[in-house]
Amino acid sequence: MGFFSTLGEIFTILKHVFSQVFERPFTVLYPYEDREHPERTRGRHIHIREKCTACAQCVRACPVVAIRIDKSDRKYEKDAALYFDYTRCIFCGLCVQACRFNALFHTKVVDLSEPERERLHYDPERIETLDRDPLEWRGSRFR
Amino acid sequence: MMQVNWFQILIDWVYGLIFWVYDVVNWIVGIILWVYNWVWGVIFWIWDLVFLNLDFLIKAILFPGLIFVVLALIYTVWFTRKMWGRIQMRRGPFHMGKFGGLQLFADAIKLISKEVIIPDGSRRWMYRILPSILLVIVLLPFAFIPWDATWYIADLSVSLVLVFAFLAAVPILALLIGWISGSKYSLIGGFRAANNQFAAEIPIIMSSVGPALLAGSLSLMAISGAQSSVWYVFLLPINFVTFLVSSVVAVGTFPFDAPVADSEIIFGWRTELSGVYFTLTYFAEFAEQMLYSALMVVLFFGGASGLPFLPGFVNFIIKFLIVMFFFIIVTSSFYRLRQDQITRYCWKYLLPLSMLNIILVLFGLAYIDGLAALVMGG
Amino acid sequence: MSPDILDEAIEIWFGPQHVSAHGWAAKLTLIGDYIVECDPHAGYFHRSAEKVLEFRNFRQGPLVMERLCMLESFLMEYPYVSAVEQIAGLEVPERARIMRTILMEASRIHSLQFWWGQFAAELGLFTMLLWPWVDREYFLDAFEELTGSRHAVSFNTPGGVKYDFTDKFLKKLDRALLRIEERLPKFKDMLLHGPTFRLRTKNVGLFSAEQGLRWGLSGPNIKACGVPMDLRKDKPDSNLAYDLADWEVPTVHNEEHPGQSDAYDRMVQRFLEVETSINIIRQLLPQIPEGPIIDPKARAKANRLPEGEAYGRVEGTRGITSLWLKTTEKAQTAYRAKIRGPCFASYYALKHLVPGSRFADFIVIFGSLDPYPGLWDR
Repeated sequence: MGFFSTLGEIFTILKHVFSQVFERPFTVLYPYEDREHPERTRGRHIHIREKCTACAQCVRACPVVAIRIDKSDRKYEKDAALYFDYTRCIFCGLCVQACRFNALFHTKVVDLSEPERERLHYDPERIETLDRDPLEWRGSRFR
Repeated sequence: MMQVNWFQILIDWVYGLIFWVYDVVNWIVGIILWVYNWVWGVIFWIWDLVFLNLDFLIKAILFPGLIFVVLALIYTVWFTRKMWGRIQMRRGPFHMGKFGGLQLFADAIKLISKEVIIPDGSRRWMYRILPSILLVIVLLPFAFIPWDATWYIADLSVSLVLVFAFLAAVPILALLIGWISGSKYSLIGGFRAANNQFAAEIPIIMSSVGPALLAGSLSLMAISGAQSSVWYVFLLPINFVTFLVSSVVAVGTFPFDAPVADSEIIFGWRTELSGVYFTLTYFAEFAEQMLYSALMVVLFFGGASGLPFLPGFVNFIIKFLIVMFFFIIVTSSFYRLRQDQITRYCWKYLLPLSMLNIILVLFGLAYIDGLAALVMGG
Repeated sequence: MSPDILDEAIEIWFGPQHVSAHGWAAKLTLIGDYIVECDPHAGYFHRSAEKVLEFRNFRQGPLVMERLCMLESFLMEYPYVSAVEQIAGLEVPERARIMRTILMEASRIHSLQFWWGQFAAELGLFTMLLWPWVDREYFLDAFEELTGSRHAVSFNTPGGVKYDFTDKFLKKLDRALLRIEERLPKFKDMLLHGPTFRLRTKNVGLFSAEQGLRWGLSGPNIKACGVPMDLRKDKPDSNLAYDLADWEVPTVHNEEHPGQSDAYDRMVQRFLEVETSINIIRQLLPQIPEGPIIDPKARAKANRLPEGEAYGRVEGTRGITSLWLKTTEKAQTAYRAKIRGPCFASYYALKHLVPGSRFADFIVIFGSLDPYPGLWDR
């Protein structure tokens, strides 16, 4: 390694760094912008009670006991109420794969932060409804 | 027999009383006048002081002085962070103000308002006093920077030497802070800071000899004034490179940041500093970086000369930002060197190169006709 | 070493609150700037994964495994899945076989990209911390498109895979591969050809192949010594499709010290690993046949396993990761699972490698061996 080849390497590195200054940043301004979430995104769940048959396969499949089922709470013919505990959920997707009646799905809502810990225990009403649309909520509207 | 003239005594007594009252009144009036004159004197003295030295005061406090330097410091930190963000494909600060311009004020307020945790093993009063001394010592040499032909604070015939004299105290303070914080990491970092200065001080002073020889003066004002026809960076390019590299070593930023290497010794001599003391040392590092950039502009880029239609200090600041940009590019391109490697390469490459430059300058001044007239004529 | 030298030694804890020790801790004994003793401590990350596996059924087991090392989640799932498949006698469809292999290699690339950035940050260059991580985002986007999650993918399952390839995923994977191919020369300039990188890593952490094998090192660390020890070639797995591609085990030959490797060689080795992985993926992508992605009987068979024991293993990014699984008759959960992570060996190799080196080199040696805390503690 001669002196001049080392100098050449130094200038190559400086060239790379210098050319980087004029490129666009890669990051997104998160609260104002967001990446596009793909179809299969495993966000919070949504429970469709019309299709539910209270088979409790999702409860069995859950590796961290995050789902609780209440079979006495009936709105339709043979459904059940689901209580989701998002302090425990690891979003593995096993419950959705276990559901044979298409009654449980993931949504694209991935930012679940809440001011209080208790708010992360979703009761049946919250797990049935989507309080905000993941794509409608985002965009440059907030800027 | 004695004739007692009671009437005469009464008259005398009354006279005496009147004179006494008169004297008391005089005395009180005298006190009031004295206080009045004293107050007026002080006011006039301040008035005279301010108005006879108004020029100097405005310079020292407002424009090239304290407030300007602190604001420039804050925006230099902002510029550095923004540039680092760009180089690392991030955005840098963007929340506070336009383009994140107020972010540093928010950071400073946050850091100052944080709790100060002083370790048990430290010397408390030194822990409290040393960071402020550090910042003051780093800010003082800004007085000698000639921002313009008119806008400068002090112009001494030896200001170049004086700047380096101030900066020589910085690693001693770093070593002291590391020593008194009562942590092994701080101690190691302090010794590494001293090692850095040991490596860099001689090359940096050697490479500032070249411009001083060409200009024939040790005053920064004269050096920058002597470059109106040709900038010394074109005459002494190698000297500029040695000055740049050894100033990066002296500051102790990224390629040579062994004193504060965060992956080896947590934050070096600054590990145990917290709250406002950390803020002071953090700003002191950037102030040192700024100072070296300004010195580079003065020594190699012709100070205030440049575009003729702009005021001199605007030229200076533009050049200062460009040099700062070079600084940032260099600091974000290389891996950290070990402290023994820093010493070895400073003494093995930078010192001979800067010495070679002095010899070249001497021969050039002696044997090239017209060079002295070109560079000194101004 | 006479005992009076040891009187001047200072003991320093590298971790668990150190910046670059992300929770682990090693006790170092320093004399001057040299480390004379290194005592790595394991146990700060113990999550009792082996016990947890005894309470999870065979479809939930891979979830535990992939959380041991989130960077190579596709690879980490495989030993468990392979062991379950061996006990249950499941046949993996051809399509799933190739899909698994492609994603495992993609996972290896993105794990190595993470390591480039981490190692550069340990060496003090934050520019190179972020550049590889940006390219890593492309792989994470592809994984998210495929499975719906960026890190905790839960892709492999006994008998096949869970999610089928889509056109969008193939496009994203292709974009990620193009991106890394395009950027590799730049990274080589920044990492391998950088003068400061060579200064820091040449002849640092030097050990021979015999030593490495005695300490139980595997993967790139031992391949850098010139030993072509690779499970993908040595023990071809019938459920993985490495035989369909034409590739060679990459090794590095150190010319100064034949049969030994230093930190620089290990970096070269990891560049070669990435190139090999890209080569394998490029060859396998056109070979994906149509067909099912999971054995139709897999669900029923994996519910209750017969009595038996099996040993699943995979050549991970950091070395051989393996799992021994024992089940009882009609088992719903494992009777006993024993995980062998590659990083325990490389972490405790520090005990022999570090003494005699400088304090600043400790983190370089640690980083070059690439131990992942989650893998030495389970």
